[in-house]
Amino acid sequence: MTENPYLPRRAKIESIKQETTGERIIKTFAVVIEDQAYRERFQHKPGQCAMLGINGVGESMISIASSPTNKEFLNFSVMKLGKVTSAIHELEAGDLITIRGPYGNNFPLDEWYQKNIITIGGGIGQAPLRSIIQYVLDKKGEFGGLDIIYGARTTADLCYREDHFQTEQSVFWQRRNVRVHLSIDVPEAGWDRFVGVVPDNLLRLKPSPENAIAITCGPPVMIKFVIKNLLALGFKDEQIYTTLENRMKCGIGKCGRCNVGSFYVCKDGPVFSYARLKNLPEKG
Amino acid sequence: MEHFLLEKNRLNEFLSALRNYEVFAPVRKVGLTVFELITNPKEAMLDLKNQPQSPKRVIFPQSEILLVFDKNNAAKEPKGRVGQKPQVVFGVRPCDARGFHMLDPVFEREYPDPYYLQKRQSTLLVGFHCSEPYPNCFCTSVGGNPSSPEGLDILLTDLGEQYFLEVITSKGEQVAKEGAAVLSSPTSQQQTEKEKLSGMAPQKIRRTIDTEGIASKIEKHFDHSLWRELSGKCISCGICTYTCPTCHCFDIQDERVRGRANRLRIWDSCMFPEYTLHASGHNPRPTRTERLKNRMYHKFKQNIDLYGVPGCVGCGRCITLCPENVDLVANLKVIKNL
Repeated sequence: MTENPYLPRRAKIESIKQETTGERIIKTFAVVIEDQAYRERFQHKPGQCAMLGINGVGESMISIASSPTNKEFLNFSVMKLGKVTSAIHELEAGDLITIRGPYGNNFPLDEWYQKNIITIGGGIGQAPLRSIIQYVLDKKGEFGGLDIIYGARTTADLCYREDHFQTEQSVFWQRRNVRVHLSIDVPEAGWDRFVGVVPDNLLRLKPSPENAIAITCGPPVMIKFVIKNLLALGFKDEQIYTTLENRMKCGIGKCGRCNVGSFYVCKDGPVFSYARLKNLPEKG
Repeated sequence: MEHFLLEKNRLNEFLSALRNYEVFAPVRKVGLTVFELITNPKEAMLDLKNQPQSPKRVIFPQSEILLVFDKNNAAKEPKGRVGQKPQVVFGVRPCDARGFHMLDPVFEREYPDPYYLQKRQSTLLVGFHCSEPYPNCFCTSVGGNPSSPEGLDILLTDLGEQYFLEVITSKGEQVAKEGAAVLSSPTSQQQTEKEKLSGMAPQKIRRTIDTEGIASKIEKHFDHSLWRELSGKCISCGICTYTCPTCHCFDIQDERVRGRANRLRIWDSCMFPEYTLHASGHNPRPTRTERLKNRMYHKFKQNIDLYGVPGCVGCGRCITLCPENVDLVANLKVIKNL
């Protein structure tokens, strides 16, 4: 009999970073799979997800928030919301977690050689985009410019804050056409960057569709208006990508619930080009 | 393959002779009949035309242990069926046998599911020809036939005092060999009688729907206001999914009992709001309208896209057992005529 796809492997939490102190707490976990053979086989691509779990509690599908160019550990940014994610938030560095995957399709990075990459993220939607951002930064010679457009409700809700600030201030990255455009929804003392929702920041920045790929992830309503604004800026359907999420249990296209039209988000997604997404009967 | 004759009054002897098999048959249980393991052939209740629950549960149980967690919380696989006797499910109707053909690709493809496949490979299906279909049967509209041997290892046809026994597969041949002592050869007259019954059966199906073009109609009219009317009576009880021989959706839950913990797979239903409810509170299918539409979409569009056939065998259970008389065939006709 072939391998049991439901059997999770143990992984050690190397470190934990609390990303947000706002209403919804997000922590980023750096984990290393214990079993060497499974660790070597676990070759993810930007955009993919994995099932994280705690035996006796349950499993949740989480985006892989680090790039495969990082060979040391895998990052997962987990928002404390339900039973499993709340239990994961109780864990400490050195504790064990379970993992299986990687699952789903990925961003077609091979087709984006020398293209300008624009990521447009909101809230925890920045997690899957971070895998791309890190990948592009690590392999900058293969891409054109990189524009990181990212916003959250308040500064306390911004993920990867220090990383973003560092990249934003770095002369090294500025010279290499990497720009960071952060925003918060409502004004705060000391905030001198854009105030307003992400789709508005996008319209203000007016990135050129010329030789560009735009990737967006965030709350459904944000994605909707980002796509609308990208189309208004002249982006074609096949230049726009998003990642979807849905409730999942198996992660392997059998338990049924994550379908959008005839596609299972776990297996046929989570990455959808707008060209593919717009023909689906429901948008998740 | 070979043909035999089995005297009805020797059926129990035949079942008793199958010593190398675990035999499942319809068993009366709190007023219902369900397919269960029998230890005595007298437990088998073969008086119903079909059971309210399909034999799906023998191979894909309503609840089964996926993983066992030991004291150190390490995950282990349960033993599975290795080393156990093969199973025979006795009394399967042709529609339910085809139901397994609908489940197979779900569990076989891409990530083979060992729990389903182990039981599927070690299970034989012994079926009954349907000489008297139920009023809501519509198998002939979705590619089935009340006298079809498709998916069965042995097919029995009721000739009154005897069963005409057809061996369909080599697995079925093994079963016939074990019960050979109570089998005899049919006469040519009995053969003719059997063929006559087979020929007549499809005409006894009273409900029909031409499913041609339904898939594109469902897609084209996905946002039509009619879906709300079609789902108006639905109470989200989920009986249509629990009795369906092709529904495969499941939940995975961890449970702790007296210090031990297991990971279970349990049937789930797309009719329940929790099925798609995100942890954030967002629900892509918040009302009965989206859920009923999704179920019809899954059966008559998605399944065709994924596996080339509709995910329905026309057993009619969802129509007969719905407490609110939501009628799949009638609903399909409404969509078809849009």
